[in-house]
Amino acid sequence: MKRKIILLVLLALMLIISACSGDGSKSTSNQRTNGEGREKVKIIVWVWDSAKTALDLNMEAFEKEYPHIEVEYQINGTDDVFNKFLVASTSGDAVPDVIAVQSSQLSRLVEVGSLLDITDRVEPYRDKMNAFKWPDTEKDGRIYAMPWDSGPVVMFYRKDIFEQAGLPSEPHEVGELIQTFEDYYEAAKIIKEKTGVYMYSDSQTASNNRFFETIMWQRGLWYFDEEGNVTLNTPEVVEIGEYLKKFMEEGLVYDAEPWSDSWLNGLKDNVATIVGASWFDGVLSGQVAPDYAGKWAVAKMPKWSLDDPYSSANDGGSNMAINKNSKYPEEAWAFVEFMLGRAESQLNMTVDGGLFASYEPIYEDERFQQPSEYFGGQDIRSIFAEAVTEIYPQSYTANFPMANQIMTNAFAKVFLNNVSVEQAFAEAEQEIKDKLIQ
Amino acid sequence: MFGRRWQFQYKAAPYVLILPFFLSFFLFSFIPLIFSFYTSMTRWNGFEDREFVGLMNFQRLLADQLFWKTLWNSVIIFVLHVPLMLFLALTLAVLLNRPLMRAKGFYRTSIFLPNVINVVAIVFVFSLLFNKQDGLVNTLLLSAGFIQEPIGWLETEFWSRVSVALMVLYRWTGYNMILFLAGLQTIPRELYESAYVDGANGVQAFWRITLPNMRRIFLFCSVLSTIGTFALFTEPYVLTNGGPLYATMTPILYLYQEAFMNLSFGYASAIAVAFFFIMMLLTILQLRVFKD
Repeated sequence: MKRKIILLVLLALMLIISACSGDGSKSTSNQRTNGEGREKVKIIVWVWDSAKTALDLNMEAFEKEYPHIEVEYQINGTDDVFNKFLVASTSGDAVPDVIAVQSSQLSRLVEVGSLLDITDRVEPYRDKMNAFKWPDTEKDGRIYAMPWDSGPVVMFYRKDIFEQAGLPSEPHEVGELIQTFEDYYEAAKIIKEKTGVYMYSDSQTASNNRFFETIMWQRGLWYFDEEGNVTLNTPEVVEIGEYLKKFMEEGLVYDAEPWSDSWLNGLKDNVATIVGASWFDGVLSGQVAPDYAGKWAVAKMPKWSLDDPYSSANDGGSNMAINKNSKYPEEAWAFVEFMLGRAESQLNMTVDGGLFASYEPIYEDERFQQPSEYFGGQDIRSIFAEAVTEIYPQSYTANFPMANQIMTNAFAKVFLNNVSVEQAFAEAEQEIKDKLIQ
Repeated sequence: MFGRRWQFQYKAAPYVLILPFFLSFFLFSFIPLIFSFYTSMTRWNGFEDREFVGLMNFQRLLADQLFWKTLWNSVIIFVLHVPLMLFLALTLAVLLNRPLMRAKGFYRTSIFLPNVINVVAIVFVFSLLFNKQDGLVNTLLLSAGFIQEPIGWLETEFWSRVSVALMVLYRWTGYNMILFLAGLQTIPRELYESAYVDGANGVQAFWRITLPNMRRIFLFCSVLSTIGTFALFTEPYVLTNGGPLYATMTPILYLYQEAFMNLSFGYASAIAVAFFFIMMLLTILQLRVFKD
């Protein structure tokens, strides 16, 4: 009996102690030696599901070239990868070695200083990537991440619904019909009246503001100017808010929270267009409506005004970065470079993985310029490649996630409390100013 | 054989047995608690050195409308579900405590079951049910003619609070029922028997015997529900992310966002400290109200 008690107490103590030292034992077991006597290293990579699917296309080739590097993937949602890493890095964790970061959140990580400086390593790739990707990777002239994919915005539209509404439906005709957002609004009214279908889908109270931000970006406007001043309450931006309000109030928008189930379901039959990034290709053909081949087509994004110098915008896109505290920065970089710095890898991920590479040399490749069966034989990647050159060069900035969150409430105020757009934007601007990262 | 050594062990054994709890409590609860008291008086983003700022965070907290709103939200969510939940729990407990009731075990288990199901799974189902566009609830209400327009269950301030309250009601009624059941079973049968002999009826027995004897259980349930409501996290986080317009933001959700999304660990700790004292105050208040 006595012995049992002592054993139990010891066991409890051991549990407590081992719980405290869990991290230490994990990192030492990373290192092993393989048959050839070369040090076998395991690197841990944090990514989200669709990114992992793309990376898998290159894993075989990677393992062949680097047999001594073992890669362990840990999968989380896009925001969770970011949030978890933010917390892990505050405590100096050496895990993960490599993380995927969305461009919209990258600057935040760079700002807090949790990523490894890879300025010299990315040097050969500086002029190979879309130029607008770099500012978010930078702080004080040093670079902390390698661009992965971009999100050039185009207009996806339903050919059959345009036809039903009596509108022209071939891509070049639609491009002629909808050149500006004013044209887009006129088309929306006709489509709603003739077919009952909404023009696009967004939420009044839980928007992710992507549409709003896309229009801003196309016009070369943003939440902040180059000096970091908040520029939300300007006539140009308020004008965009009024435009979106008009759309919503005239019942031209399918009201659903972006990425919720009803939003995804709604994309299938309730909306006629998506003004969205290249990666909607994969969302539509893989997730929302795999059986709708031939119904969707791609045209250029509408411009705010015909005189605007830039005709597209960027929405999303990702990067890869290395944890500042990683024990294996060399191996981590080998992985990043293999995946993102090589034409072959980027081609695989773009063509078969649906991630539109920021790596420009492949845009001329034969495999890249292929007609897409799903989009009725359109060479959509060439359309994306053209759009990507017409994006106003700006970055998300470190304060973007916070501003984006506040914006959701600004629109909620407009629709729930009948506050004027101007007042809601003025209040949001003040709120953002109060929370700016000094 | 029963010498001093045995005596020592006899005395020491209870302490040794509860030691693991206190050790882990000390390590994982007490030290962090003290630490967060200290952190609440600093400005700290987790990376750079802490900067001691005295009571500045608390000053900011007092003027922070959003913080007061989170408390107000909790009060509304509390009012929306706790009275109903305790009523339901007590009714079910009384029903299931009747000696002649059949299949008691089955009912007790089914009513308690929501409490052991993973919260995220429940939230997922609720978000499907309460979806404005094609959720089951709106579809049923519309086709039955109760409403003309779909209700924005998760889209308006009032209804989003109702949705969160309903979910808490669903999850915790069974748990409270079990507590009430335990309470009912401690009331001696003789009390009822003598009451009936004296000519009391069932209703009188309930009001005069059952309720007064359940006072402590009521207190316990009410304290737990208060803390539980103010500390709600998973439900609003997954269902509405605190929205719309912060209508379902609770103090703990706010704390989480300040700490792990805005990296203001100092301010987040100040929220935690304030939360600690507010909960203490509310608990003392309830102890007074339910005092024998």
